[in-house]
Amino acid sequence: MSESEMSLALGHGALVEGSPFGIDSKKLVMWLFIVADAATFGALLFGYGYLRVGSPNWIRPFGFIPTILNGMVMTAVLLTSSLTMLAAVSAAQTGRRAAAVRWLGATALLGMVFAALHLREWFNLFADGWSPSTNPMGGSVLFGGTFFGITGLHLLHVLCGVIALLVVALAFRRGRLDASHVETTGLYWHFVDLVWMFVFPLVYLMNAR
Amino acid sequence: MVEMESAPAAGMRVYVAVWAGLLLIVGVEVALTYAHLPTSTLLYALLALALTEAGLGVMYFMHLKYERRALFWSLIPALIFVFIMMNQFWSDAYRLRSLHQ
Repeated sequence: MSESEMSLALGHGALVEGSPFGIDSKKLVMWLFIVADAATFGALLFGYGYLRVGSPNWIRPFGFIPTILNGMVMTAVLLTSSLTMLAAVSAAQTGRRAAAVRWLGATALLGMVFAALHLREWFNLFADGWSPSTNPMGGSVLFGGTFFGITGLHLLHVLCGVIALLVVALAFRRGRLDASHVETTGLYWHFVDLVWMFVFPLVYLMNAR
Repeated sequence: MVEMESAPAAGMRVYVAVWAGLLLIVGVEVALTYAHLPTSTLLYALLALALTEAGLGVMYFMHLKYERRALFWSLIPALIFVFIMMNQFWSDAYRLRSLHQ
């Protein structure tokens, strides 16, 4: 639908200017949320860098096995979930409703796999004596606080994303939501993926032994 | 319901190529981590690679490349400005480090 047609479609024949960005309002609002959330994660990562630089006794606890290898698998899973999300958006935009729902389900499943791998890693760290305020290896206790804080906020985003994907998939299947909703949800999911592209190198790889 | 025109996005073939490129970059990051580089060199290399990944993701996966330029110029420079401003705290981090040594 062209912008002039859209303006008329708004009702009562009123002439309303189209969006200067050429996107609908929910997509623009999602972009604004993403920019704000990127600043939040940026501030957390800068805070982590600040504490790391300011702590001469910072330790590097992560071995290749299991932590870095697990992180690589988690990264591959999350990247693949972005690909399935793109397939869902493509299917939704071309009217293949059942395929879109299947791809949304696959994306949510990969998100759950990521969360499960993440939680398994956390519980292994807890078993080794790590916590947000304890460091069993000696050195700065700030490592646990920053690690669990940053990865915890990201995990929360993943879990919220999984819930959103399932809700959107169900509503899209019933015809209550359209392709633009799937695309907007996809924006959020890709953002969660991109945040991890900074968390993995800065929080995991920079702390590898 | 009012819908806007969808921007013409890339096909799945392009997405798969970007996805493979991103996986390759992750592999390079891990290889660099175990190449025994100085910490600062490793940090800059990982940041450059992460920014490359973010750029690919934002432009292709999030379709910013296919949206109007007004959207890019309204969002991205402001975010970069915020990140640049956060860098002013490093001098205090080094001061803190010198206090503990």
